[in-house]
Amino acid sequence: MQRRPGKFITSWVDVTKFMLTLVGLAWLVGRGSEQLGYNWHWRKIPGYFFTLAHGHLHAGPLVDGLVVTLEITAFSLVLAALIGLVTALLRLSSSLVGRFLAMFYLETIRNTPLLVQIFFLYFVMAPILDLGRFTAAVLALAFFEGAYASEIFRAGIVSIDRGQWEAAYSLGLSRFASYRHIILPQAVRSVLPPLTSQAISLLKDSALVSTIAVYDLTMQGRAIVAETFLVFEVWFTLAAIYLLLACLLSLLVRLVERRFGSPGQPAWKMP
Amino acid sequence: MNREGQGDDIIIASNLVKTFPGPVRALDDFSVTVRRGEVLVIVGPSGSGKSTFLRCLNGLEEVDSGTIIIDGLPLDDNEKHRLEIRREVGMVFQSFNLFPHLNVLENVSLAQRLVRGKSRARAREFSMELLARVGLADKAASFPAELSGGQQQRVAIARALAMMPRVMLFDEATSALDPEMIGEVLDVMRQLAEDGMTMVVVTHEMGFALEVSDRVLFMEQGRVIEEGAPEQFFNTPARARTRAFLRQIL
Repeated sequence: MQRRPGKFITSWVDVTKFMLTLVGLAWLVGRGSEQLGYNWHWRKIPGYFFTLAHGHLHAGPLVDGLVVTLEITAFSLVLAALIGLVTALLRLSSSLVGRFLAMFYLETIRNTPLLVQIFFLYFVMAPILDLGRFTAAVLALAFFEGAYASEIFRAGIVSIDRGQWEAAYSLGLSRFASYRHIILPQAVRSVLPPLTSQAISLLKDSALVSTIAVYDLTMQGRAIVAETFLVFEVWFTLAAIYLLLACLLSLLVRLVERRFGSPGQPAWKMP
Repeated sequence: MNREGQGDDIIIASNLVKTFPGPVRALDDFSVTVRRGEVLVIVGPSGSGKSTFLRCLNGLEEVDSGTIIIDGLPLDDNEKHRLEIRREVGMVFQSFNLFPHLNVLENVSLAQRLVRGKSRARAREFSMELLARVGLADKAASFPAELSGGQQQRVAIARALAMMPRVMLFDEATSALDPEMIGEVLDVMRQLAEDGMTMVVVTHEMGFALEVSDRVLFMEQGRVIEEGAPEQFFNTPARARTRAFLRQIL
């Protein structure tokens, strides 16, 4: 109780500093753009979201791009989770070939740039396997994020107490049944937070698929900029959209987490 | 239920050797036979190989050499045999090892459904019967974290019994419990013994050994030092090493 006034003052000082920094930044941007002779045209931006014609609302390019970004993110998220889980299980398996395959995949993916992987898939693999650019984009992102997801899954699985395995085994459960009913349900719950940040990385990394002319949010933004030179407005807007999406994503996971954690209330404590 | 040529011996362990890196000889040419319905208590200083022996009996540890036959089934490299033996051998751990993400009823029912292929309703019925037997029918919907240690261990016993095992192994089942909870778990074990269950019990509870067991076996450094009926073992131990051990713990 004695320390409270001090804390109060500290936090006010913090907030004030933060505000001053923000104002300073805004001033810098304003002054910079003024010196450039930049003409702001914020009014044009809403038109790229929606246009009203004949009493009907039409989706503009930014909304189209947003839909594509969400589609790509959703598909590659599911695929990445699957790849990650399988890779983690392979790495932990007793099979030498399985472990080697998993390590080979992990090292290849983690030690090459995502951009190169996207180009490789699109320019090399896609013609060979007859893949569209959307598929190539989804696959590239899924393989890339899958490698990181697998490390997260592996950590989650390894963190489960050995006694859980022994209890499952001593009841006659097979390795598969033990994973499915005992180990993975516990592991997945404990890795939900790091998996969320991986999902957010995936969302952000999806902007790179604009390089193979997939018309996602970023690509639409580039197209608008090329057409209209609304450079500042468009990139500010895009950044804000990505920020909003990422925040929504973590909010969503937090809700899921809370729901997960409460079958019959305290359920069990997260390790 | 006797299998051909099996006679009355349900566990036949012969010449078991198990070493751990170190090198530690946890089991050193260890042989023991357990009769059907017998309660065998194994005592000994820590590190003497008691727990290792139990864990070898249901294949949680693999022996370096020697043979284990449980109710006529050899425990060998055959994965099917191993699974079958684990189904017939129940195990209770020092640290309970309940499944924290499942409630008590699900903890007891899971293996019945997965391994025995019972319907949800039939598994539930039998689980409730077992929970009533260990005095926890009212806790069916609770999660392990909401139970006391003694209650958790009783659930763990019910979970093992749910497989209708022919042998129950108790690996220091009361060692992690607060003193006032040891009694409730020992009561369940005593009841089980009276019902004729074959039990191999590693414990430090000498009162339980004296009262409930048919035979006490003292082991050290992976070998049998002495074994005998409980009265004889505790009152007139033959070996000096046994006497020294008993003096220390009694």
